[in-house]
Amino acid sequence: MDADQIRAHLDPIRHEFADPRSLVMPALKFAQTEKGHLTREDMAAVAEATGYSPSFVESVASFYDRLYTRPVGNRVVSVCITLSCMLRGSDEVWEALCEHEGVDHHHGGTSADGRITIQEAQCLGYCDRGACIQVDAEETQGPFTPEEAVKLVEELREAPTPAELWR
Amino acid sequence: MPILNSVYRHREAGKTLTALADYRAAGGFKALEHALGEMEADDLQYAFVRSGLRGRGGAGFPMGRKASFLPKDSKLPKYVVCNADESEPGTFKDREIMEMNPFQLLEGLALAGFAIGAARGYIYIRGEYEHQARILDAAVLAAREAGFLGTNILRSGFDYDITVYRGAGAYICGEETALLESLEGKRGQPRLKPPFPAVAGLYGSPTLINNVETLAALPPIVTNGADWYLSMGTEKSPGTKLFSISGHVVKPGNYEVVLGDTTLRELIYEHAGGLREGRRVKAVWVGGSSVPVIGEEHLDVPLDYESLQGVGTALGSGGCIVMDDSGCIVRACLRLATFYRHESCGKCSPCREGTSWFERILQRMVDGEGRMEDFDLLESLFRRVSGKTLCPLADGAIAPIRSAITLFRDDFIRVCQEGSPRPDPMLPATVG
Ligand SMILES: Cc1cc2nc3c(=O)[nH]c(=O)nc-3n(C[C@H](O)[C@H](O)[C@H](O)COP(=O)(O)O)c2cc1C
Ligand code: SF4
Ligand code: FES
Repeated sequence: MDADQIRAHLDPIRHEFADPRSLVMPALKFAQTEKGHLTREDMAAVAEATGYSPSFVESVASFYDRLYTRPVGNRVVSVCITLSCMLRGSDEVWEALCEHEGVDHHHGGTSADGRITIQEAQCLGYCDRGACIQVDAEETQGPFTPEEAVKLVEELREAPTPAELWR
Repeated sequence: MPILNSVYRHREAGKTLTALADYRAAGGFKALEHALGEMEADDLQYAFVRSGLRGRGGAGFPMGRKASFLPKDSKLPKYVVCNADESEPGTFKDREIMEMNPFQLLEGLALAGFAIGAARGYIYIRGEYEHQARILDAAVLAAREAGFLGTNILRSGFDYDITVYRGAGAYICGEETALLESLEGKRGQPRLKPPFPAVAGLYGSPTLINNVETLAALPPIVTNGADWYLSMGTEKSPGTKLFSISGHVVKPGNYEVVLGDTTLRELIYEHAGGLREGRRVKAVWVGGSSVPVIGEEHLDVPLDYESLQGVGTALGSGGCIVMDDSGCIVRACLRLATFYRHESCGKCSPCREGTSWFERILQRMVDGEGRMEDFDLLESLFRRVSGKTLCPLADGAIAPIRSAITLFRDDFIRVCQEGSPRPDPMLPATVG
């Protein structure tokens, strides 16, 4: 994404902040919608559009779980593994998904075909629906059994990517 | 004790109030009309103080008193920031308010803004709540179109608008000064206090920060009067509170209870449907995961700030996590230790290093490789970390583990020797 596109996205909200630094996060989130993750070029474009240094912008991006500085699959599947969900079987869901996608059981990862990333999430605020899963930035869903979760990723593998959604 | 759905209007109405007309029909925006038309800002602040409303984000600080700390004579613009970062494990009450009743939050933010003379309000919402953020975006637009936000609101001369600001996944951004850093476009790392946000908050300006549930309680307080709110609950814990309950209960969900009126046992067994057949309560984290854990012997504690403190725990965020006797307490502690290790912002070394040690030691216990010295090692780590950090996250990591070791020492010793095989979880099918 280039700096002009980012500026165009920021212009309507610029007046809402007394300090333009507040625009860095909206800019990063917008830049990420293009490829699903942030490349160094994207971050340089954010730096140019907001007037801060690339290293500052990169340090901000690296702080947040949901800003990805490395490539992710077409769909990002976040499995909550925190306590309430663990009591409701999230470890079983997690392992079934890692197994199904052929990724590392400790860290998750992206399937060989590049379609699906499985990642751990901390409490998603849907503990009443544990074990729960969030796909990209869509509304979190649950509860899931391991079998239902596998069915979900199989459907996602076939479904088109919602490019307009922030991931 | 029965549930009282009296403060949050979607509960009283028994339906979602995401359409402005529905919220109006349920009595919405009457408080703002009344305040702007007939009240002085100081009277409004005084009503907040008198209601006794305490912050619902975790610390329970009186809301009106916090508002009164903002300097009256400051030349700088003032701000209200709504903490919608809701990331405390076990807590999902703010989500319900934003999803089902966004206008009540906006009205509360506008009332708080008028009371302190704010230039703008911000809702800092966790990035994972994109769905809820969109509902808020739509509500802000609708409220602005109807003249409840924007310039010269209801022809009162008061200008005020609200910005919905999305985070991007970091528990620590729920800590108020980390939230401000994040809202200023930086890494979300806590600031040294003082100065407190009331004096130097967002962009160095006086800032009032409150939780979603706190702010959403303001409109009914203004409409029905502070005395009405005070008449519910106990002297030190007036009003109602939303409890989120999850884990090994049959009907997880949010329940609004009058503080001091309902016991933990009633919350679990009457409201949340109890446990599975044949199971008993093993451990409960009543106020989210950052509070000391309690066991079956305290189930009759009334749910209010002072009673919970009396049994050695805290009301916290009201995110009540229940584990039955099928669960393993050491594994539960390990899972929480992993959470805090992951969420430590890394600014202070006792927290950064300490949380990773807690996790490592608990992991070897679960693997059956724990040693008896590990108990002393953990305790000495707790002593070296506790109170020596910039923000309370580190103490929040210690509280559940330290209390569990005291309460369930036999389990810890057994697990150290034998390890702990993973117990069967309670699957959705069990609930039906
Ligand atoms: C590590 C940490 C995380 C927190 N997370 C939240 C949160 O997600 N939501 C919240 O409202 N308060 C949270 N708080 C409490 C806030 O710092 C602050 O006390 C609160 O927003 C004040 O609002 P209240 O007075 O209405 O409760 C957290 C505090 C700490 C130390
Ligand atoms: S206590 Fe932990 S989370 Fe809080 S500022 Fe220090 S390192 Fe960051
Ligand atoms: S523990 Fe999984 S959503 Fe809260």
